Amino acid sequence: MSDSSRPLLQACDVSKSVSGPEGKLEILSKVSLRIEPGESFAIVGASGSGKTTLLGLLAGLDVPDSGSIALDGHALDQLDEEARADLRRRLVGFVFQSFHLLPALTAEENVMLPLELEGNSAARQRAREALDAVGLSPRRRHYPAQLSGGEQQRVAIARAFVHGPRVLFADEPTGNLDQRTGRHVCDLLFALNRDHQTTLVLVTHDATLAGRCQRGIELDEGRVVPSASGTSASA
Amino acid sequence: MKMLLLALRNLRREWHLPELRTLAASLVLAVVALGVVATLATRIERGMLASAAELIGGDIGISAPQALPDTYSTAARNDGLKVTRSASFPSVAFAGQHSQLLDVDAVDLHYPLRGTLELADASGHSHVGHGPAPGGVYLDHRALVGLGLAVGQRVQLGGRELTIEAELLRQPDGGELLALAPRALMSLTDAEAAGLLGVGSRARHRLLLAGEPDAIRRWRHWAQSTTLPQGSQWITPEQTQQRMRSAFDRAGAFLRLTALLSALLAGIAIALSAQRYARRKTTEVALLRALGTSRRRVLGLLLGTLAALALPAAALGLVLALGLSQLAWLLASQLFTSVPTVLPLAPSFAAAAMGIAVLIGFALPPLARLSEVPPVAVFRQSVTRRARRFDALYLIPVLVALGLIWSQSSSLKLAGILAASLFGVALVAALLAALLLWLARRIAPGVHPALRLGLAALARRRTLSLIQATALSLGLCALLLLAIVAPALLQGWRQELPADTPNWFALNLQDDQRADFAQALQGIGADQLNMLPLAVGKLTAINGRPIDQLHFAEARAKEWADRQLRLSWAGPLPQANEVIAGRWAGAAPAQAEVSIDTMWRDMFALKLGDTLRFDVGERSIDAKVGSIRKVDWSSFRVNFFLLLDPAHASDLPHTWLASFHLPGGHAKALARLSRDYANLSLVDVDSLLDRVREIVDRVGNAVRWILGFSLLAGALVLAASLAASAAERRHEAALLRTLGARRGQLRLAAACEFALLGLVAGLTAALGAAGAGLWLGQAVFHIDRFVPPLWPLASAALAAALVVMLLGLAGTRKVIRTPPMRLLRED
Repeated sequence: MSDSSRPLLQACDVSKSVSGPEGKLEILSKVSLRIEPGESFAIVGASGSGKTTLLGLLAGLDVPDSGSIALDGHALDQLDEEARADLRRRLVGFVFQSFHLLPALTAEENVMLPLELEGNSAARQRAREALDAVGLSPRRRHYPAQLSGGEQQRVAIARAFVHGPRVLFADEPTGNLDQRTGRHVCDLLFALNRDHQTTLVLVTHDATLAGRCQRGIELDEGRVVPSASGTSASA
Repeated sequence: MKMLLLALRNLRREWHLPELRTLAASLVLAVVALGVVATLATRIERGMLASAAELIGGDIGISAPQALPDTYSTAARNDGLKVTRSASFPSVAFAGQHSQLLDVDAVDLHYPLRGTLELADASGHSHVGHGPAPGGVYLDHRALVGLGLAVGQRVQLGGRELTIEAELLRQPDGGELLALAPRALMSLTDAEAAGLLGVGSRARHRLLLAGEPDAIRRWRHWAQSTTLPQGSQWITPEQTQQRMRSAFDRAGAFLRLTALLSALLAGIAIALSAQRYARRKTTEVALLRALGTSRRRVLGLLLGTLAALALPAAALGLVLALGLSQLAWLLASQLFTSVPTVLPLAPSFAAAAMGIAVLIGFALPPLARLSEVPPVAVFRQSVTRRARRFDALYLIPVLVALGLIWSQSSSLKLAGILAASLFGVALVAALLAALLLWLARRIAPGVHPALRLGLAALARRRTLSLIQATALSLGLCALLLLAIVAPALLQGWRQELPADTPNWFALNLQDDQRADFAQALQGIGADQLNMLPLAVGKLTAINGRPIDQLHFAEARAKEWADRQLRLSWAGPLPQANEVIAGRWAGAAPAQAEVSIDTMWRDMFALKLGDTLRFDVGERSIDAKVGSIRKVDWSSFRVNFFLLLDPAHASDLPHTWLASFHLPGGHAKALARLSRDYANLSLVDVDSLLDRVREIVDRVGNAVRWILGFSLLAGALVLAASLAASAAERRHEAALLRTLGARRGQLRLAAACEFALLGLVAGLTAALGAAGAGLWLGQAVFHIDRFVPPLWPLASAALAAALVVMLLGLAGTRKVIRTPPMRLLRED
């Protein structure tokens, strides 16, 4: 049960560093943000600014060195990997820049994956509905190699939505697509965000795409850049 | 040169890749397995000849009814050969009230030249010695018991009083199984002085030589050009101990089988690793091609890298093979005494060459294909089309495997059976795996989620799953053949020499003694009594032409034509005999018939319908060749090269030959019997049987030891197949973890996947091993009624599924722990 007055995602003073050949390298430094249910939120920044690391931390794929992150009221830094995986399965959907479809599975089977992990017996039926929603019903028996880049990303979006997640993380979803296809994929993402009230967290370096989001932050060398327009979101 | 440096640098950079390490380990293993076994086989071969020389007491000899002229020993000494003279004759020994017929060997002080003369002193301590000095004699246990004497006492032999200086435990003999009774060894000087060897004596004289093989050959050639005294016979290692040869031949077949299967398993691991390496290199090759590198240069670089890997690995395998075979030899050398200790190098070098051939054969096809990767693949790998003209390359591993099977098998039959069995196993495994994948699609929606994920995982890697199932089946089949079927074959072979195999022969039994003797034997606890008539005669004509007017291609034919032959007859076909041409005559054919052994067929170029004339005493008989037999000379039964039909042969002058089994500890009773039947010669074959049993046991141990190689090879196949799918598995695990899969789910899915794979492989392998075992048992090892151990095979199939599952789980442990962040990093 979620509380409507509670933010869906909240990060407080999140820092993360990695050890490299030249010692410790700080990737994120004291990042704080708050994302409300149903909101669309952009994380922008140049390459190496820490966008993907922040996305991974917000989705519970990794834990911060310091600071705290709460997803739907669950403190991610307090949970072990198994509990975070449970949370991801129930609440989270992903769309990647490189689509990450399994090449040996058909479009339909790829979409079925999150439902199969839940042990959902109606996986096939719901996967067909999801593919129908992204306009790929006729292609459901095709393998990824037989689909165009745009079609592959639409399959990935269907997979991200099929189990009704509360939040969708999209990492450079148009990075591998041409402008027209990219726009089409984005339309789809925002339509689903709107129709299903799914929170959308978008990592991009495309200012136009970021501009379509209700709010966002910009990262520079792991720190949140204060914005003159006031679009910077802080807790 | 530049290319070689580039290849070396490339190898140094890529050495951390698991598939390259597996490739190198597989090559090392193939060379070691082939090298160790080939070296051992060569040494066993040499040991066998030396062993036969030990049994005759020299490297070569001549036996004659009178002493050979001195020219023969002088010529031998002039060529640097050692010479010993001896004479054998029967003589009665006396001690107080007792008397005993003995087989006496009168020898000089040099006896024996090869092998050992084992003696025991009065206190029972054994030692090795030479022929007795004049005035001394050695008696064996039966002789001592028969005469009621002990070491140190005196015995009268040949009219002389001799001191018993030692008990005779073991002596090299003429390799003649049907030899003599209780034995005595006395000085040749005493025998000559006592007039035992003069004209009219029944002594058989022997001249034995030993020395360098070249000198032996020269002397033999010279002696053959002279006219040997009438009735002379050659004594050579080759003609002795047919039974021992059979034991060694089978031993060699087992060892080679083990090495061959290990090498083939290594080949499979190499093929899987090379496939993986090729896949990994596809993008790099596309990039190199896009940057303008020619196809030839790409191929050169790949082959250079392969060569830079292969040569040190083969060299390491060579060193290990030499070291291990030396170690194995130290462990096995008690089998043979006085065997050349030089380590043969050629087999290990040949193994290194074969290992490289395996590497090239199995790794070349996928690597050669790489040179066909188009530059456009740098943008999208899916545009890479398979170049059909490279399909023929996949014949190379098949040809290499067939070549290997052929070169390592002692016979074409063994090679054929193995190749067909392994091909059958591969085919069935591939079909079963394909069926499983088809079923996976059908039943997946209705099964447990973990099983569904496991099935999906198999289906996702369809081609790899098929390859894995086939490779694992072949590997497991090889292991089951070695671990279960080979020992069962050995056991079957051993059971062919049951504990109650006849261990004594009695010669010279007369018609009127048969019934009493049988009763007396029963009285002392003997069983398995079998009596066969024995006539001694000569072959005098073939198809009406006198034998001395005929010429034969085989030199030994003349020796056999000069010999006294043993003839027998039987109504039903005796055991351990198989008619391979013609028809067994039965008890009473219309015309006299003889059944001949294959050796006789080959030696005298005989065919069915030919007529042989034998002179037996005053009689002669013309017999038509009615059948040709294959005789199992390893059966330890009384067998004959020539068997006549009873209706026409039974009135030939003959004695009887009895074979029976007498349990140990009955020496005294037998000695009494021997005194009661003074005309009989009793022969003990237990020591020969013991030696063969010992060989069977040692071969069993050696096979188990070499089995270690096959286990390693099997593990390598699994490691290679896991490495082949590791990257894909990691990516998949990261994705599934990102989508919320629990580790337990992934683990259970992997367990299901590998258990299914193991089950397919285990079942196919068990079926294949049972089939191949049945086939090998009957066709190659000639073990009648051999039944492969079905329950152990079935249990092994299930155990294999379990082991594959556990190993698979262990191998994917790291994969399951792949952090989900990896997926984002891959973008």
